[in-house]
Amino acid sequence: MPPKRKAPSGQAGAAKAGRASAMSTPGPATPRSIDSSIMSDADEDFDEDVTEAQRQREALLSKEADEFVNKFTFGGKRLQGQGDEIVPRDARRYDSATSLFKKRDFSHLPLKPDHLNRPLWIDPDNCTVVLERFNPLAEQATDFLITIAEPKSRPTFLHEYSLTPHSLYAAVSVGLRPKDIINTLERFLKTALPDMVRRKIEHHTKSFGKVKLVLKHNRYFVESVDADVLQILLKDDVIGSLRVHGSDDITTSYAPTMGGLVIPGTQNAAGVRQADLKQAEKKPGEGEGASNEADLFAALNEEDDDDDKEAVHAFEISDANVETVQKRCLDIGYPILEEYDFRNDDVNPNLEIDLRPNTQIRPYQEKSLSKMFGNGRAKSGIIVLPCGAGKTLVGITAACTIKKGVIVLCTSSMSVVQWRQEFLKWSNINPDDVAIFTAESKNKFSGSTGIIVTTYSMVTNSRERSHDSKKMMDFLRGREWGLMLLDEVHVVPAEMFRRVISSIKSHSKLGLTATLLREDDKISHLNFLIGPKLYEANWMELSQQGHIAKVQCAEVWCPMPTEFYDEYLRASARMKRTLYAMNPRKFQACQYLINYHEARGDKIIVFSDELYSLKQYALKLKKVFIYGGTSQAERMQVLENFQHNPEVNTLFLSKIGDTSLDLPEATCLIQISSHFGSRRQEAQRLGRILRAKRRNDEGFNAFFYSLVSKDTQEMYYSSKRQAFLVDQGYAFKVITQLANIEKTPDLAFATPLECRELLQRTLVDNERGAEDEVETDDLFGKPGRGGGRGVGGRKGNGVRRTAGTLGELAGAQDMAYIEQNRAANKALKGKGGKKGGGGADGQSKFFKGIQREKEKSRARN
Amino acid sequence: MVKAVRGVLVECEPAIKSILVHIDSTHHHEFIIEDLDDTHLFVKETMLQVLKSKLEERLKETYRPEEPLEDSE
Repeated sequence: MPPKRKAPSGQAGAAKAGRASAMSTPGPATPRSIDSSIMSDADEDFDEDVTEAQRQREALLSKEADEFVNKFTFGGKRLQGQGDEIVPRDARRYDSATSLFKKRDFSHLPLKPDHLNRPLWIDPDNCTVVLERFNPLAEQATDFLITIAEPKSRPTFLHEYSLTPHSLYAAVSVGLRPKDIINTLERFLKTALPDMVRRKIEHHTKSFGKVKLVLKHNRYFVESVDADVLQILLKDDVIGSLRVHGSDDITTSYAPTMGGLVIPGTQNAAGVRQADLKQAEKKPGEGEGASNEADLFAALNEEDDDDDKEAVHAFEISDANVETVQKRCLDIGYPILEEYDFRNDDVNPNLEIDLRPNTQIRPYQEKSLSKMFGNGRAKSGIIVLPCGAGKTLVGITAACTIKKGVIVLCTSSMSVVQWRQEFLKWSNINPDDVAIFTAESKNKFSGSTGIIVTTYSMVTNSRERSHDSKKMMDFLRGREWGLMLLDEVHVVPAEMFRRVISSIKSHSKLGLTATLLREDDKISHLNFLIGPKLYEANWMELSQQGHIAKVQCAEVWCPMPTEFYDEYLRASARMKRTLYAMNPRKFQACQYLINYHEARGDKIIVFSDELYSLKQYALKLKKVFIYGGTSQAERMQVLENFQHNPEVNTLFLSKIGDTSLDLPEATCLIQISSHFGSRRQEAQRLGRILRAKRRNDEGFNAFFYSLVSKDTQEMYYSSKRQAFLVDQGYAFKVITQLANIEKTPDLAFATPLECRELLQRTLVDNERGAEDEVETDDLFGKPGRGGGRGVGGRKGNGVRRTAGTLGELAGAQDMAYIEQNRAANKALKGKGGKKGGGGADGQSKFFKGIQREKEKSRARN
Repeated sequence: MVKAVRGVLVECEPAIKSILVHIDSTHHHEFIIEDLDDTHLFVKETMLQVLKSKLEERLKETYRPEEPLEDSE
């Protein structure tokens, strides 16, 4: 037993164990079942070579003990019926560190002699692959792993991927064959590929992606490269009977290749314009394949085992039965892959759309799109890019490639407008062809086809609608769309998707998101509703290349003053949240950070989930704010001022600002209260500053602060929330004390007396007004609230008459007086009112009189 | 007649002190003899172990979420 590896590996193991348990790994961390195979005894000798390899390995271990990471991550399904892996007892090493690894000790796996040159480790039990980023082959291995596995964690030096059924499904769907996967893995692995992993790969790839559902000439075909699979399907009771009669023969044609297809905006597209030679060579073959298709009716028998990989067999099913067939195929283990052969679709009219000639898409965008159009057809699926990395452009480019009718679904009416603008900005589409379907406007495009931008709630709303929107819905349902773009797919519940997908018929679906995760783990539903994850970008890589901003993350710990903490201990769950958000020390930290960053010339966004504290902070610090109840007009005004007015540098946002809000000016972000342990919210909020305009300035950093009240639940949530970003490679600094905070001029709540007053006020206000503050989570301004009223307008002005003793009125016995600052929003409005004549405050007496008359007459009716 | 109670001086962070006081108030004030200042308490010696274990329990609670994650929007 060599002594040298003990100390370092033991330490690293312990440290990693701590990390793995402190961080939440996605998925339920169920205790693993006791595994028989590894512990089983077996009499097997092992030769000198292995020991040699072991020794080498140990030397390596002492250098970089980090690869034990994977041995502590749980999850990943195990394949049933393993157990042929016989572990020679002697091969296992027992030393002081062994007990720490429990069953995740794989030191018995023999290393290949040249393992130093190979970048991958594998955990045979849960199919976790660990990549050494510092290895010379890491680049290639990364490209490969991205295709076949899901990235779990990507810090600087070691990346962790996991092979899941879905990731293998995705790999097959981009055209990889099981043989390729296994061979390549074998090439990169330091140890021999464990049999179990090999079998798992074979098992999942055998069935996935073999059968495709193709919409050709507006008829649905079930298609497969493997004729035997089709025979199995045809013999199935359900599917066999659903086949369209009169087409007994199985159609055989040639599989399309990437051939003539050029994704606009790519390097290739530029090349095409100059040298058409290569394309010309390929195209005839391609065209032939399509035109001959009709002639190529051939019985299956004629199709000998020619090993002709280009041949594709298909049979037709009717439109009505697509759903049934899909479900049945899933049941019998042949999930159907949906593809759209848009170039051969001459039923749906083409859309005149192309990227503007000067548009160049970035390499990673190109990569993601090539996954989608890998074989010349459009595959449905999800593309995951960080916020601010140009998801919209990816969507638009996909639309320009397919050139058919497009329906875009987004989360709010605000982003509907943004999507339309982006379409006009990046493509040469006729503005009349991009229509908007929201509560306010219901346009149709002028031509035979076009683009409709709408929201999820508009198309899924099942309650009664206005005549106009009903007509519009019928219009949407009545047509066939080439592409359905689903923005921010992670936010929408699965049932809603089902409704969207069942009511609107589209040939292909593309989901876009930055954070493909949900705390309730329902994300896997999307795999079946939309499609597999096609591509996921590496955040760190993009920020190194300057596509997104570099961010410094910090967690600021704010102690709770004793009075607050006493109250906190007694309070209800809801009040606890308010109390830790209203912590005066947190307030001071926020004030300090705002002062500091405003002085540096940063534009700051402050996020608070807690409405009460949002308002209190904003009013006290005299900053502008937006929350669910802010009217659309007021929002626009505030946002515009934040973007262009040098005097408005800080904006307070409730959770309506978490997603889809595009503010490239913002460079600093402070979070004062948040939604429990939502990893997604954390990532989405970070996304608000990733697209900072100034990101390419020399030495520029964006800042992300999370203010946390010490000794409260917030600490727990905070560590949970950071898990996702830590996995993306971000490091959080913990700040326990802000330097010179007490020297801040006008520091709020500096005396204990003020703290007590704040506490009293918080308690009183929240007891009284808890019901008023129901936050809606959408970005719609409340309709019907005519652009007038300032926040808290009428509510706060109510007069209360109370009886009390003189002592009380003088401030004894916890009587609290409220000082109300004018909302900074109103100040903006005053200015705006004079300019535009919009807001209520800017109205003249005359108009106010008219307003009053109107209200009176309304009341009478 | 003078009655003497043996006590222990406990020094802790203000937050912990708050928790101790809260525990005391929910247990008929049987732990604390005198609340000295923000960081000091005078505690009955006989009850010290009980108080310690109650504090441990409470600290565990503080870091466990009391509500399930609401993430369905």
